[in-house]
Amino acid sequence: MDPEFTAPASLEEAVGDLERDGAVAVGGGTQVGLLVRQGLIEPCRLVWLGRIAGLREIRTDADGSLLIGAAATLAEIAASPLVRSVQPMVVRAASQVGNARVRAVGTLGGHLVHADPRQDLPPCLLVLAAEVRLLGRKGTRDMPLRDFIRGPFETAIQDGELLIRVKIPPNPRDTRCCYLRFTPGSSNDYPTVGVAALADLSDGMTRRAAVGLGGVAPRPLLVELPQLAGRALDAAAIAVAGQAAATACDPASDQRGSAAYKRAMARLWTVRALRACSL
Amino acid sequence: MKLAFLLNGEAFETEAPGGALLLDLIRGQGLCGTREGCGVGVCGACTVLVDRDPVSSCIFLAGCAQGRQVWTVEGIARREPDLVEAFIEHEGLQCGACTSGQLVMAAALRAKGKDPGEAGTRDFLAGNLCRCTGYQSIVDSVRAALGS
Repeated sequence: MDPEFTAPASLEEAVGDLERDGAVAVGGGTQVGLLVRQGLIEPCRLVWLGRIAGLREIRTDADGSLLIGAAATLAEIAASPLVRSVQPMVVRAASQVGNARVRAVGTLGGHLVHADPRQDLPPCLLVLAAEVRLLGRKGTRDMPLRDFIRGPFETAIQDGELLIRVKIPPNPRDTRCCYLRFTPGSSNDYPTVGVAALADLSDGMTRRAAVGLGGVAPRPLLVELPQLAGRALDAAAIAVAGQAAATACDPASDQRGSAAYKRAMARLWTVRALRACSL
Repeated sequence: MKLAFLLNGEAFETEAPGGALLLDLIRGQGLCGTREGCGVGVCGACTVLVDRDPVSSCIFLAGCAQGRQVWTVEGIARREPDLVEAFIEHEGLQCGACTSGQLVMAAALRAKGKDPGEAGTRDFLAGNLCRCTGYQSIVDSVRAALGS
């Protein structure tokens, strides 16, 4: 079936175009183009979002939240001085997704709606308590990312809806973040495990610590570490966190590692990421 | 859908299916320097520029090129022959299968205007796979083209 191809100039037009059953939104097209080429999806209409002014905007809110438009490319996010100054871990993760060609056109919205459990950005955005904004014919709704991602390749987005924006609230004063991705394959490849560590070290000890884990469960995991609160982020505390990460995993064995290996790597790279936060 | 864009600097118009991929359009025009290596956007043999962006044309929906500038290796080699010279001088190819993509990536990197250093160059090229050279001569060629 040959799909229609539309290039709406506004969000309103885009929502209208998506109202048809079997219409699919396209950001950079790195996922949709692949799925169409392989015959894995047969949309009746492709709705390209590249013409919508303002959908790629990156700015801060009055309260210091970082707002990233869904059509911002991973390359734009990785190169953004604003994102680097406010949320450097997001720059680090965005700069490692796929390869330079994917990052040049792939969008944040497309990345999140695709919801591959091995992706780099979701673990980071989970620990940062990110929220997504969805737009449909009935208006907008906001949702924490941890509720938005439901399972492998499954999100809470409904037919006719668009993800239009990601909001990341400001971090407490002395928050340390570190994203590490471990891939025994090529840098192009998804990681065996991705760990996004966050430690709020305001007041000289840990007020909050958490890790986001990618690649080791049917969806990216947010592992809060309340057992670390009120203590120093020392080797003993970090070891406890590593154990918590290993326990939280539910990995599948595949060519990126056996389940046992992935569990061990989740522990090891959690320890490394939190150690980096403690320095 | 009706498509109109600049292809290697010249006006190009065609009628194409809505799900058409840019690679097929390009090769259909006889511009066979752009190759299909993997068909899934990983190997980089199909790399072209859309405006300043390097893309995997095998998974790039042609409709997204509407009104834009598309450059293939043929056009880039004509407009930047020194890139080709750098690859010859530093032996940045053997069988040539990946070379079109490597040249296009080199042009994209150079167009950014700032030298990212050796590590940054390797990182930018990391998505263009080569089975022959072991990559060092490709990196040397691109570093030379960047003027370093």
